[in-house]
Amino acid sequence: MSCPKTHYLLQEYFSEDLSAIARNELDRHLTDCEHCSVELESVLLAQQDLQQWQEQRVPHWDRHLELYRQEHRIDRPVSRFWLSWQWLPTAASLAMLCVLLFNVSVVSNDSGFSISFAGSSASDTNLNGQLAEFEQAQRLEMQQLVTRVESRQDSNNVQLLQAVMERAQQSTADSFDQMYAYFEQQRLLDLQDMRVGYEQLVDSDYETIRSLQQLVNYVGYQSDIR
Amino acid sequence: MSLIDEDEALIAAALNGSAYAWEKLVKRYESKIYNHGLRLTGNSSDAMDLMQEVFLGVYRNLHRFRGDAKFSSWIFRIAHNKAVDMNRRKRLMTSSPKFSAEDEGDEFEKFPGKTDLEPENRLGNIEQNARVLKMLNELSSDQRSIVELKVFQSLSFDEIARLQDVSTNTVKTRFYSALKKLKVVSEEQNVLS
Repeated sequence: MSCPKTHYLLQEYFSEDLSAIARNELDRHLTDCEHCSVELESVLLAQQDLQQWQEQRVPHWDRHLELYRQEHRIDRPVSRFWLSWQWLPTAASLAMLCVLLFNVSVVSNDSGFSISFAGSSASDTNLNGQLAEFEQAQRLEMQQLVTRVESRQDSNNVQLLQAVMERAQQSTADSFDQMYAYFEQQRLLDLQDMRVGYEQLVDSDYETIRSLQQLVNYVGYQSDIR
Repeated sequence: MSLIDEDEALIAAALNGSAYAWEKLVKRYESKIYNHGLRLTGNSSDAMDLMQEVFLGVYRNLHRFRGDAKFSSWIFRIAHNKAVDMNRRKRLMTSSPKFSAEDEGDEFEKFPGKTDLEPENRLGNIEQNARVLKMLNELSSDQRSIVELKVFQSLSFDEIARLQDVSTNTVKTRFYSALKKLKVVSEEQNVLS
């Protein structure tokens, strides 16, 4: 069962400047009208649900710095000019990426500049010719270099050989002198040894002769006895 | 010394260049403003942005505060204006606004991006707050603002009407419509839980 007064009465119920008479009439109606009292109870419950709100702590913020930043940003519209150019680094990066992806190359020649993509263009033949010329020049230069190095190496070898030979001759002469001195020394030593040997031989011969003489004397003596 | 007198003393010191007084003033109201923003925007990031915008507004206009009204009323007026501006900015940046059949003639746009809102994730494990945010998400921005000002800031219908530049009756109607919508969501939640 609905009540035609519910809407008006309940929106007045929350008014602060309701007169005492009006408040009494409203209370009386709410006592008599079940629909209005139920409706009021349900909206009051909803209001009560809202009042369950618990104060949230404010997240940390720098009270001076944040305000200064905001103030600063507002007072310096110049920075907006630079803000409007924020797309520039992104655009430059994109351009570089395209250059890399499409393998773009710029070649300057007599007729001006030419741009090619993916490394394939008419400039390839020109490039190949230039490469062949460069190779030929490099080869010629390398040959000249080798010849020069070879001649220098030859002269170095001759000088080295001469030096070695000189050194060898000198050392050979020294060696002969040393050998001669050695042989002479050995000869003198041998002669000395031979003299000693002969003297010993002579001494032993004398001993032998003396022994023989004694033997002869003995034999002679024995025969005389007989 | 009452809170109002303390506010005035801090304002005077801040105007004389005292960073300490300014910080104390900010600390005094930051939690209220942040929670106000959280309930209005539904997420912590926007609430922080709103809070900083509010204090920037206070910082710039502190010399204009005459003390005719309470500082808390003044700062919440700034918060309300900033929230409206933020909502307008977000509305411009996102898709076309949605309209509610229950709203009476006015364009009660939904808060942008709130359909994919995940209060549980954004608010951690505070289930009650997540539940409240889920209820508030069902309201249009104007209804949400009125509920915030009436239920959480305890403003009168006349004060809200002046803030929103609408008639007192419109405010009353919107508030009651919001409560009816909240009642449905609350009942659904109770059934599910």
